[in-house]
Amino acid sequence: MSEEYNVMELMTILASRDIEDKKIIYVGTGIPMLVTSLAQKARNLKITPIFEVGGIGPEMPTLPLSVACSRTTWRALRAADSAEAFEIAQAGFADYAFLGGAQIDKYGNLNSTVLGDYHAPKVRFPGSGGANAFASFAWKTMIIMNHEKRRFVEKIDYITSPGYLDGPGSRKKAGLPPGTGPYKVYTTRGTFDFDEKTKRMRLFALNPGVTVEDVIENTGFEMMLPSKIKDNDPPSREELKILREDVDPYRIILGRGEA
Amino acid sequence: MEMKILERGTQFARPKITPNEFREWNRKNKPREMIDKVMDAKTAVKKFMKDGDIISISGCSFVRIPVAILHEVVRQRIKDLYVGCGTRSIDVNFLTDNGLVSHLDPGYIIGLEVLGLPKMSRKIVEQAVTKGEITLTEWDNASMAWRHKAAAMGIPFMPVRHMMGTDTFKYSGAVKVQCPFTDEEVVLVPALFTDVALIHVHESDIYGNARITSGAIVEDWGKVRGSKRVILSTEKIVDTEDIRKESDRTFVPYFYVDAVVKAPYGSHPGNMPGMYYVDIEHLIEYRKACEDTTGKALKGYYDNYVFGVDSFEEYLEKIGGKKKLKFLEDLEFLKVKPGGFS
Repeated sequence: MSEEYNVMELMTILASRDIEDKKIIYVGTGIPMLVTSLAQKARNLKITPIFEVGGIGPEMPTLPLSVACSRTTWRALRAADSAEAFEIAQAGFADYAFLGGAQIDKYGNLNSTVLGDYHAPKVRFPGSGGANAFASFAWKTMIIMNHEKRRFVEKIDYITSPGYLDGPGSRKKAGLPPGTGPYKVYTTRGTFDFDEKTKRMRLFALNPGVTVEDVIENTGFEMMLPSKIKDNDPPSREELKILREDVDPYRIILGRGEA
Repeated sequence: MEMKILERGTQFARPKITPNEFREWNRKNKPREMIDKVMDAKTAVKKFMKDGDIISISGCSFVRIPVAILHEVVRQRIKDLYVGCGTRSIDVNFLTDNGLVSHLDPGYIIGLEVLGLPKMSRKIVEQAVTKGEITLTEWDNASMAWRHKAAAMGIPFMPVRHMMGTDTFKYSGAVKVQCPFTDEEVVLVPALFTDVALIHVHESDIYGNARITSGAIVEDWGKVRGSKRVILSTEKIVDTEDIRKESDRTFVPYFYVDAVVKAPYGSHPGNMPGMYYVDIEHLIEYRKACEDTTGKALKGYYDNYVFGVDSFEEYLEKIGGKKKLKFLEDLEFLKVKPGGFS
């Protein structure tokens, strides 16, 4: 039934399937652009993408290379500024935001700033960008990550963007707007959600060919396991065709899945 | 009820320019008269920039960035710069690659977004931070946007509802307080008043009445209006009559602006929405030069494109001249396929 695909294609397709229709989505640079564009093109959803520097409701004729590039305002409804774009999110209009990172912990806190000491970095990454605000304001934060033991760790080196911080009640205690937080995590191995009571990351569905043992072995913290685990359907021929031909024909981002 | 400070970020917030000082500056140093401010990039940078300045840069990443001005800053070696870095990329790399920066306020730095992370630029920042040659105060794109906005409003800070609970707060210069009205906790981010804003736009008259005719505004309203000096480069110079005919399209009025520099294709290799697209091949050439972590290839890039030319016109010839620029114009309107991707 299905053909060969790489992990980037798989994660994009799985995340894209979960977007609900008629929602406002904050789109960061990279995979989130693929996910949003695929949802528009493969599922014909009436979603409104917002880019953090001002693009509101563009048609995105080709994959944007930057959150500001002209594709993010192409036939848009409005070209605003960054303050306005973030104010819209702060005021409660951000239904979804998509984030990635170099490290994640069991509460969905993300590091995209630094590995090692902040003042003597082993690796310095670009930093928060829009991520901290997205993770604070979006009703549902969706996370997309490569699933490796060095990335899924007990304690991340630096909390760039808030997940459930130290667990239940800690977002509220910190003063973050209520009702927000990480919703799902899409990885090279499966889909994960967060247990309502403990706010800990929980296996939700396995990607094709992946076992529960694979997930446990490649996770640096104790992953919660529900009594029933779903299986993610592989990408369909149609989804792959649209993703490859219409969303990222030059494989600018999809190509990274081949490494 | 009292407004109590609950928590403080650990890094430097540098309230070097206060709202009152900014008011005084604007009273004394900004002519109310419409005067001809057209000059070349070399003169503008010499006249309005100095070592140690706090600066901001227009656009985002490689979109609507003032490259003609930045090349001049690099050539004149204006150094010890304090740079506001909401959504920055190759523009700030031009400065850090050449050792001209002593402080960064990131948002977003180093990366070329979808086009990847330039290794040598990253190594330079990592080493400079470790040696203490560059100090950092961590922010994010939202707080940077609001810090510029607060400066534009002439107020000392903006209350915001994010950053709390994270290291982004811990390594910032923000404070968390209890809101005197709602009792909820809010974060206060300090206004970022700058010495100079380097801004590229589509159109301006000779006085600095300027327009951004396409694309996102990014933080640029705040950057212009919160800065003591504004060097504005523009793709085109238009008549004031044109501006008056459609005043709703004016991005900022003349009195904020100190220099108007005519710079066609002045954002190259960046995108100028509605005019020309990103020069993907050039950005990949830059990223490839950054693969060499001895720094030799990157030095070669600057020797060739910045120090090897006297003007931005000469640079435009070097990157492929009219033929290349026409291609980028066609690419903007989807008339041709992008090059550079293997």
